[in-house]
Amino acid sequence: MSRVLRLHVPLALYLLFTLVPFYWMLVFALRPTGSTALVPWPITFEHFDTVWNGIGFGTFFYNSMVIALGVLVFVSVLSLMGGYALARFKFRGQRLFLVALLCTQFIPGAMMLIPLFVIFREVGLLNSLTGLIVADVAFQLPLALILMSGFVRNIPVELEEAAMVDGCTRLRAFFAVMLPQLKPALVAVGSFAFIGAWNNFLFALMFASRQDKFTLPVGLSYALGEFNTDFGALAAGGVVAAVPVVLVFAVVQRFLVQGLSAGAVKG
Amino acid sequence: MRALLVVLALVLSACSSGGGSGKTTIVFWDNNGGPGRTPIYEELIKRFEAANPDIDVEYVGIPSSSVQQKYDTAIAGGSTPDVGGVTTSYLAHLVGQEALVALDDRVEGSALKGKLLPSLVETVRQTAPDGKLYSVPSSGNMDVIWYRTDWFTQAGITPPKTWDELVAAAQRLTDPAANRYGYTIRGGAGSVFQLLTEAYSYSGVAEFFSGGKSTVGDARNAELVGKIAALYKKATPEADVNNSYTQMVAQFTGGSVGMMHHNLGSYGDVTKALGDRVAALPLPVGPSGKRTVVPNPTDGFAVFKNSENQDAAWKFVEFLTSKESNSYWNEKVGQIPANTEVRDAAWIASNQPVKMALGVLEDPATVTVPAPVYLPQYSSITKTDSEPQYQKVLLGELTPQAFLDEMASKLTAAQKEWEERR
Amino acid sequence: MRTKRWAPYALIAPTLLLMAVFLVYPIASVVHYSLQRYNVTQPWKNGFIGLENFRVMLTEDPLFWQSLVFSAKWVVVEVGLQLLLGLVLALIVNETFIGRGLARAMVFSPWAVSGVLTTGIWILLYNPSTGIFQQLAEWGIGSPGTSVLGDPATVFPATVVTELWRGVPFFAILLLADLQSIPNDLYEAAAVDGAGRWRRFISVTLPHLKDAIILSTLLRAVWEFNNVDLIYTLTGGGPANQTTTLPLYVARKAVDSHDFGYGSALTVAGFVILLFFSILYLRLSKFGSRA
Repeated sequence: MSRVLRLHVPLALYLLFTLVPFYWMLVFALRPTGSTALVPWPITFEHFDTVWNGIGFGTFFYNSMVIALGVLVFVSVLSLMGGYALARFKFRGQRLFLVALLCTQFIPGAMMLIPLFVIFREVGLLNSLTGLIVADVAFQLPLALILMSGFVRNIPVELEEAAMVDGCTRLRAFFAVMLPQLKPALVAVGSFAFIGAWNNFLFALMFASRQDKFTLPVGLSYALGEFNTDFGALAAGGVVAAVPVVLVFAVVQRFLVQGLSAGAVKG
Repeated sequence: MRALLVVLALVLSACSSGGGSGKTTIVFWDNNGGPGRTPIYEELIKRFEAANPDIDVEYVGIPSSSVQQKYDTAIAGGSTPDVGGVTTSYLAHLVGQEALVALDDRVEGSALKGKLLPSLVETVRQTAPDGKLYSVPSSGNMDVIWYRTDWFTQAGITPPKTWDELVAAAQRLTDPAANRYGYTIRGGAGSVFQLLTEAYSYSGVAEFFSGGKSTVGDARNAELVGKIAALYKKATPEADVNNSYTQMVAQFTGGSVGMMHHNLGSYGDVTKALGDRVAALPLPVGPSGKRTVVPNPTDGFAVFKNSENQDAAWKFVEFLTSKESNSYWNEKVGQIPANTEVRDAAWIASNQPVKMALGVLEDPATVTVPAPVYLPQYSSITKTDSEPQYQKVLLGELTPQAFLDEMASKLTAAQKEWEERR
Repeated sequence: MRTKRWAPYALIAPTLLLMAVFLVYPIASVVHYSLQRYNVTQPWKNGFIGLENFRVMLTEDPLFWQSLVFSAKWVVVEVGLQLLLGLVLALIVNETFIGRGLARAMVFSPWAVSGVLTTGIWILLYNPSTGIFQQLAEWGIGSPGTSVLGDPATVFPATVVTELWRGVPFFAILLLADLQSIPNDLYEAAAVDGAGRWRRFISVTLPHLKDAIILSTLLRAVWEFNNVDLIYTLTGGGPANQTTTLPLYVARKAVDSHDFGYGSALTVAGFVILLFFSILYLRLSKFGSRA
């Protein structure tokens, strides 16, 4: 009985809180405009047609995917390198570097748009998915690096030393001993990066001025404009944007939790 | 040497067109991209490219909520499109940043000469300190009251002609138990633009500035603001104090509101949801019976100074505002065509809101009171500063007169500064 | 461990390079603009004005102080509730029960949803004519036409709930992960000592979670402080500026009024405040000191 009160009731309540908003979106996406039916029947796919064929969500989806995957790869590799350096070495400027990482989080991206835009123009990164990947990597990396250094620190240094005593170079030891241990951590940091990039609106809108380079959040904001309010399209677009990440997340959360439990956010 | 230059020029033009096919590519930014308007432009661009095989048009749809930020960033970063959709509400900023080309000569030398609705041309000219034409108006908009014809029939009342009738009708149609409200107030983003058109239509004051002083604080304007504020929560949904367009139109199309003040631009949204159960009324008049109209921001197309293909850009602007394209666009969107040749198009006769709006505009008794959108601080004063203050009025924390006086004194100061600079 | 002295620098070099190009210059330019009059609508007035923006901000702008107070309220309430609910949620899904994997996947899922979409979903849900409250009213719960975003009494809680929806999973994930790394023998030892469930939570679980809690609350606080999109779209800062945070005020100044100079000064103020509190927080909480 106490288990029901302690476990099942709160869990059920929280699930309700989580799922009702999703359901509301689904209902709007699947019922005709103007309908207020609580169960969308008969189901209509007109809103999906509007967003996929009418406003090009197909292209946006592809772009978001390319950017998110690119960011995932680069953030994982670079945060692994930097996190390892922070956790395993003592070097001059280490503390300053850490503070600098934290400071980068203090300024909202919106205030940096114009200088960033100028830099992007100078290095020829406007209107390209590469440019958006670079921008997202630059903004996600500081956080990922802090997290990753925590993971590395929690892996006993003795493991590595043992391998080096056996004649491995530090590099060999890293690949042979550390990397397998850090796999779950990579999943964790990688999915944070993926989700961050998948959801970035401002950079995609500002640093791309070509319809075929826009991303899903830009597409979603179309449906909220003056003269363009279309809740059905908004909801259908939302389903398109949410389903892949939610699915991916459902699969990786197992690894994520393992990964974080391997060391997690330990300074 | 000359050959070298020609080669260089060819290479450069190939680079700038991206494709290397020798075609010219121009970039066009739609300032209100989305499911409603993107398909219309796609069709028009297809037609344009068929007629001009040497020009490619690249369409970019900007979400309307971010369009000013996008233009600001692009101008500061030196990377503007060739052609952009602009409305007069921010045209002055673009002109102030010297981002646009004056199009007077282009219009003079084209088929558009004398074909553009003079009142719209005037609205565009007023935004620039030098009085030049920095965008070719494509469509006029007018504030209207959208109302539920079925509710009025049901209640056995006729649509209001004066503000007092509107207030009475709003109260009559309200039935909170049935979640029905007679009217909806735009209290959130964009509120004050609409409020001013309401105030002037009631007061009949014919000028925005009188002897350099803003007339916003006129007692009759305050009277109207008071009447509207009195409706809040009594004949309007409670949500109205924070209503932006999206929420306001959702209430109306969702069937809980009988009358909504917006403009012809919401034609698509309201007719899609309500079909023939909705119609448009001109804004009511006040006790004087005079019809004074504060013109809505005018949509148009501008050519950017940084464009390397201004000739091609102009061709596209000319095409978009030509009789056929202008008719197509405005028919789809439900606004007033700027090209006077479209006046007799068959669709206008069957489009009640546009026909009604044209009737008002063409009525010689109608007085237009252009808002001073040319003032650099105009949107800062009326939006950033005044919108939260209007919410205080609705919540009963500020009197209408004090609210308007504060806005008026800021506008007077801005106008004075502008006059001096000019 | 002896190693080459340049190795750590080589490893952080790509990060440093990215930061130098894409973060240092933009941040420096924000500081630069904060000393200028810089308004794109009146370019003829632009120029260096020293600390004038800061003087106006500190002495003539009540909205700066008001927005700062609301920001503090927002961060404290939001992070506090996210931590509390996240901890409870983590403890719940750390139990063993049938369908645990599915339950975890579901309760964590809002974390993956973007800001634009979160607000989109909740606009649909809160809509007075087609939202959840209208539906409830039809079932006889509450009154029709209830607008939680329009009523000054409910606009704050309604916005908080929306952000909780997306924010709680962040804490739940991190804390669950840390819970799992608690060696079981610690609990067993405590049980041998006769500690009850609550005692074990206080003496074993909480101390173990300490560092994770400190770091995640700090990161989250910074993030919530700068979170603009959600409030902007849901309430626009209203009614009557009641829900205007400092960054939202910045956005209104810089984006709507095009006043980048003053907006930059406000941003610098936010930066200094965050830096101060971050350092204070890390010091006071003795972060990283292992018991």
